[in-house]
Amino acid sequence: MKNRIEIVASGFGGQGVVRLGQIIGETGVKQGLHVAMLKSHGTEMRGGYVRSQVVLSQDIIDSPMCESPDYFIALSSAAYKRFKDTVADDGLILYDPAFVDEVDEALACTQKAVPAKELSMENFDNALFANTLVLGFIARLVNALDKEIMLESVLEIIPKFHNRNRKAFQIGYDYQS
Amino acid sequence: MKRFLETGNFAITEGAILAGCRFFAGYPITPATELAEAMSFRLPQEGGVYLQAEDETAAMHMCIGASLGGYKAMTATSGPGFILYADPYGWALGCETPLVVLNSGRVGPVSGITGAPGQGEFYLTRYPTQGGNFEAICLAPNSAQECMAMTVEAFYLSERFRMPVTVLADQLITDGFEDISVPENEEEMKKMGFRTWSRKIHQGPDFYPATDEIDIPPVVLGHNTGALCSDWTPTEEGYDIEEVEAHHKHAYRLIYKVRNHRDLFNHHYDKKFMDDDPDLIVVSYGTPSRVVNTAVSKARDEGLKVGALRLINLWPFPDEFFGAKTKYLAVELNWDGQLVREVQRAVPKDSEVHFLGSCGDLPTIPDLIETFEKVLKDEPLARKGWKLEAW
Repeated sequence: MKNRIEIVASGFGGQGVVRLGQIIGETGVKQGLHVAMLKSHGTEMRGGYVRSQVVLSQDIIDSPMCESPDYFIALSSAAYKRFKDTVADDGLILYDPAFVDEVDEALACTQKAVPAKELSMENFDNALFANTLVLGFIARLVNALDKEIMLESVLEIIPKFHNRNRKAFQIGYDYQS
Repeated sequence: MKRFLETGNFAITEGAILAGCRFFAGYPITPATELAEAMSFRLPQEGGVYLQAEDETAAMHMCIGASLGGYKAMTATSGPGFILYADPYGWALGCETPLVVLNSGRVGPVSGITGAPGQGEFYLTRYPTQGGNFEAICLAPNSAQECMAMTVEAFYLSERFRMPVTVLADQLITDGFEDISVPENEEEMKKMGFRTWSRKIHQGPDFYPATDEIDIPPVVLGHNTGALCSDWTPTEEGYDIEEVEAHHKHAYRLIYKVRNHRDLFNHHYDKKFMDDDPDLIVVSYGTPSRVVNTAVSKARDEGLKVGALRLINLWPFPDEFFGAKTKYLAVELNWDGQLVREVQRAVPKDSEVHFLGSCGDLPTIPDLIETFEKVLKDEPLARKGWKLEAW
């Protein structure tokens, strides 16, 4: 793996942006990596701005900031606009078209649309499993992260609905964008 | 040794429990709420007591009561709560009550920005109460792991110096998640460099001797002794009085028990690229120091002779690290400049001292390197949107 991988997730409060980062981080720790995950948020529990910045590294992490993320998970239009230009040229933006309607085609990095909310509604009649779907997709995309360990972390950190989370994770993992 | 992905708040809770803390009273506030939450869960498991107070002032007074009752006690807050500790902090200093206080900095003044980091209480941790006539001790960790270590250390120092000790963290480390290792027994604690000091109980005869001695056990109620808790001057015999001569002796103790035992904490710092007389020394503490470390390493790769000095022990201020006559840059999470003033005071005459402030977010590596270059080339530092700074 690259010695340092930076992953940013951002969206509104209540979407599970922090849990998402935490699950990626937990996977890293279980794989023996050093992990730092900063979270920034407003006062509101729901609706405000939230960002998780995850750094995975084989070495002790000095700067915990994601200044040029390798992966950016955009879960709102505002978040997309705010961080799209920070993504490294060889990096990747993963966005949910249910929340990000306008995509900047001029960016050098790769951009992939994952309709996680829509897939969650289709399969479970509920938007709740969108994040697990995204995590499944990330597990295939980020070579440094082990699929089974990631799933184990999902089930550990989200204590409820294990069967549906398992299924959602696999749908995300299999999704071809 | 157990390894977790957890928050600094969790790390502090585990550190406190390892150090023997069995009483916590607090009033929840972002970004220290999860600490109260973790304490409310963990302390009862360890036979300890968690109390949610009606406000911060009451919380710290409760901690004083618990400490006088023989408990190792702790409270935690952020800037807006830390100012409410001003009254009980003074009582704890004056009555020589060991306590640990955590302040996780956010953006101020007042409520400011809750979920973003700030370093606005640098001087407030030096003067956490009114009246003067005391020295304060403050430790500033820069990671979740170090949050645990410095909490253990704060309890150690608070027992030996018989006084409250502040741990100054910030939102990024208390709220953020990192991989942490929690020792499971004393041997592992020793291996990690954790120092502990068990609570001993004062037996008299002099309760408040007018000396600079440390390691005098605190008074504890119900052990054949009384315990004085007064806002007046404690006499050596443990009575209170309002009289200048006695207060002069008391103040001597509060000042010199710390000043004369600095060897106990003057190893708390971190130096990087400091062995070849750097042309610029970048001074910081807390989370910004981690970005500074990365930036200084990169600047070295670019041939800039820059060094990084990270302070962990903020108070008493380690003047001994500022002996070199060179250029200094203080990097802080505030826009007014606080650490920089203390650096200005500590450096040799005619040294240049500069300031780079950011607040709510860490400085970026390109910004830092650009600032190093400007300072080294004697170019003025300008902040985007602000006029030139005259530091």
